[in-house]
Amino acid sequence: MSLTATSFDWVRELVRKESAIVLQPGKEYLVEARLLPIARQMGLPDVGKLVETVRVRPSAEDTRRIVEALTTNETSWFRDGDPFTALTSTVLPSLLSSRGANERLQIWSAACSSGQEPYTIAMLLDDVLPNAASRVSITATDLSREMVQRTRAGKFSQLEVNRGLPAPMLVRHFQRAGNEWEVSSNLRRMVNATECNLAAPLPRMGPFDVVYLRNVLIYFDLPTKQSILRRVRDLMRPDGWLFLGAAETTLGVDDSWERVVIGRSSAYRPLKGK
Amino acid sequence: MTSTDTGQRRRGSDARPVITELIDEMTILAIAEEAWVSLVGEDEVLVPIPSELPGDILSSWVDVVGPWTGSVVLTTGRATAEELSRALLRESAPELLDDEDVADAFGEIANVVGGSIKAALPGPSGLSLPQVGNAPLVRNAGDLCRVDVVWRGEPLTISVQGALPPLPVPTPSRENEVPL
Amino acid sequence: MRALVIDDSRAMRRIVTGILTNLGYEVRDAGHGGEGLDVLNEGWVPDLATIDWNMPVMDGLQFVSAVRSNPAWRRMTMMMVTSESEHTQIVRALAAGAHEYMIKPFTADAFRDKLALLGLLPQEVAL
Ligand SMILES: C[S@@+](CC[C@H](N)C(=O)[O-])C[C@H]1O[C@@H](n2cnc3c(N)ncnc32)[C@H](O)[C@@H]1O
Ligand SMILES: [Mg+2]
Repeated sequence: MSLTATSFDWVRELVRKESAIVLQPGKEYLVEARLLPIARQMGLPDVGKLVETVRVRPSAEDTRRIVEALTTNETSWFRDGDPFTALTSTVLPSLLSSRGANERLQIWSAACSSGQEPYTIAMLLDDVLPNAASRVSITATDLSREMVQRTRAGKFSQLEVNRGLPAPMLVRHFQRAGNEWEVSSNLRRMVNATECNLAAPLPRMGPFDVVYLRNVLIYFDLPTKQSILRRVRDLMRPDGWLFLGAAETTLGVDDSWERVVIGRSSAYRPLKGK
Repeated sequence: MTSTDTGQRRRGSDARPVITELIDEMTILAIAEEAWVSLVGEDEVLVPIPSELPGDILSSWVDVVGPWTGSVVLTTGRATAEELSRALLRESAPELLDDEDVADAFGEIANVVGGSIKAALPGPSGLSLPQVGNAPLVRNAGDLCRVDVVWRGEPLTISVQGALPPLPVPTPSRENEVPL
Repeated sequence: MRALVIDDSRAMRRIVTGILTNLGYEVRDAGHGGEGLDVLNEGWVPDLATIDWNMPVMDGLQFVSAVRSNPAWRRMTMMMVTSESEHTQIVRALAAGAHEYMIKPFTADAFRDKLALLGLLPQEVAL
């Protein structure tokens, strides 16, 4: 049986409520494909039955699995390049000159997926900062428990390692672990991974000097984007830096940011008095 | 008794590992799946169920020489090997695939799978050029890790098999037996 | 831009050539390191060479060392594309002078990512 309109709407509403992710009409095939394995695991024949079961007997665990299954976790090392080049060329020098030698820099990767983004940052800083592990702390968060666990484990498949990781960095920061590659314990110590839903009230964290909030706002509607940007700003230092994905901007969304062009990319900084 | 000597020698430095101590079926399957999704096609699945190989089969393999020495062998029906070669080449596949095209493409898949398996084993090891034809014999049934899969409905096996015959099994009680 | 694809498997040569041609490269290929050197000696020195490791006659590592010893070929970028994926092997290839290292199996997307890292993704494609 294929998914009925009512079942699809129910899933859409659930996912929007739990994660703010907007599933456009026409994504029925996606819902089917992503939820079928869960249905099978529960011994149910199809997604329709899964929806029925969870509607009748809601459980936090089933809800979480359904929502997680509908996140898109596509990511890669040095994704788009420039926002990471900007970190070492501009952001880091500026922060180091304005912070005390004993102040720890705090960086947040706010939708970290399987960990490529926070470990890209960790590698870059480890390569330029002596004692990086004691100078910097990187908070990596994601809605998905599976992604947070993967980030914590710091293990990547051969295919993942092929996606944008420069070979000199691979040999410097990774060891083989069976058919996977494992990031060095030094880098793992720099990265703290926890679950965090950007669409819900944020836990007490930071204040952050740099925030990477990349390729996640695209999934939300305008009011959600606005409230997330506002809450992220509250967790940042007044002279902090925010990086968004290549298809994302604060322009026309939240006017309390100043856009700064760095090379071929841009960063956003909290506007004073806003 | 002298039987303890023999036991220690088996476990000592000259004991060589067998493949089942170094890798498992899950890892081999994961490696093959990675090769299939990236080389053969994004939606290509390998279903891990055993099924009978047809009569007319072809194997491709690479040898691994190092702390563990043996071969990584892919075996499937000749027609499936041809289909696999075509899938690998996609739009650059020639109209007619000759035997050499199939040997080359099927051999390269063994090279790719074999390289990943080698890297998951203790190294350093050397990797031979791929060969295609009748698979090398299994010399030691205890030094074999084999995964049976079905691809597009056709059976295919991936066998990671030692090249060396079994070490003589210590039978201390016999050896030390005093003939009556 | 020009690329030289060196691999003893013609299936692999076709695959890599296909990816590079789609990106706008002019491609020539060679079945081993020796044939690769022949192409360079003709005076056809590309922007990029993709180099398999295990090949008959002259392997990829020997090719990289030979290229490194000739200053006339200095501006050519060399990327290993091979199923050799032990940590020590990658270190050896980089030490011999390879600039990048792509492990087989790879996807067309991964290939593009590597070219982007090397600054060798043609501009009109990168945009
Ligand atoms: C496409 S990935 C982006 C990963 C990485 N930032 C990058 O740019 O490559 C999007 C991630 O956002 C996460 N996500 C989706 N909705 C979220 C929410 N409400 N709160 C936190 N994370 C969320 C998903 O689980 C997924 O891992
Ligand atoms: Mg080869």
